[in-house]
Amino acid sequence: MDMTPFVDVAFLLLTFFMLTTQFRPPEEVQIILPQSHSAIKLPESNVMTLTISKDNRLFLGFDSQFMMAKLFGEENKLRIAVPVELGKLGDFLIRARMANPKLRTVVKGDKDAEYGITEDVMGILQKTQITRFNLVTDLERDER
Amino acid sequence: MASVDTAAPRGHKKGKKKKIRRLGVRMDMTPMVDVAFLLLTFFIYTTSMNRPQTMEINIPPNNGGVEVACSNLMTIRVKEDGAIFWNICTDDPKKVEFKELHNLLSQQNQQNPKLITLLKVDRKGKYAMMVNLLDEFNVANITRFSLAPMEDADKRILAKVSG
Repeated sequence: MDMTPFVDVAFLLLTFFMLTTQFRPPEEVQIILPQSHSAIKLPESNVMTLTISKDNRLFLGFDSQFMMAKLFGEENKLRIAVPVELGKLGDFLIRARMANPKLRTVVKGDKDAEYGITEDVMGILQKTQITRFNLVTDLERDER
Repeated sequence: MASVDTAAPRGHKKGKKKKIRRLGVRMDMTPMVDVAFLLLTFFIYTTSMNRPQTMEINIPPNNGGVEVACSNLMTIRVKEDGAIFWNICTDDPKKVEFKELHNLLSQQNQQNPKLITLLKVDRKGKYAMMVNLLDEFNVANITRFSLAPMEDADKRILAKVSG
């Protein structure tokens, strides 16, 4: 049996997947997302992610290595997020917005995180004039 | 598959030199194809095509509070353990189950289209509670809501109700 066309297609798919795959550096913390019915997609670029972990620690990350290097120094360039203290978050947010005014803010909280820290984070966002942000959630599927 | 064509043997030549006939080269490509499929399955499984879902929130800028008539204000308070209490104006808070919240919200908003919802979650409550409630608001098409910190006064009110 001539398998040539079959193998050709396999190689085509292989190259497609190889070229489209983006490898992500390992995440700093594992986040279990809460669920919601919202179906808005995460913006594709210029994303600033505020991660709130299960044990109420705060991480700040950007989707571009350039921004990471600019804010956290060259040694943190390849990391996906860096732990940030709540008190210093405001400064970082202002510096980040100055470096890239197109930044979209995304809050990625663990579902078991305390509400208090989220409240503080939202207070800081409000103070730094970031009045529009997104909360990352998993899509909840049920019949409504 | 995988055979390489070679020149056909030419006609008889002058002279007695023995021509070494080259055979058609056959290469076994099976291992290569095996590896290709292995990589293909690997990439198919590791590629994640879907981006995560998000919920968009707009919070008002710091300046300028808005005066709201007491009768248009519905307060939803969430205790540390996730129990939900609601009241309008200064009524006594009533407990409501999360499942019934959707009906309650749509019912109250039908009665009073000017209703503004105020959400107060205990600092020790879970983040998921807030997301769930905001999601309920979105599902019930409530666009005018605000988040406020829960103060000691609120806790006292709740303590009085739950005894």
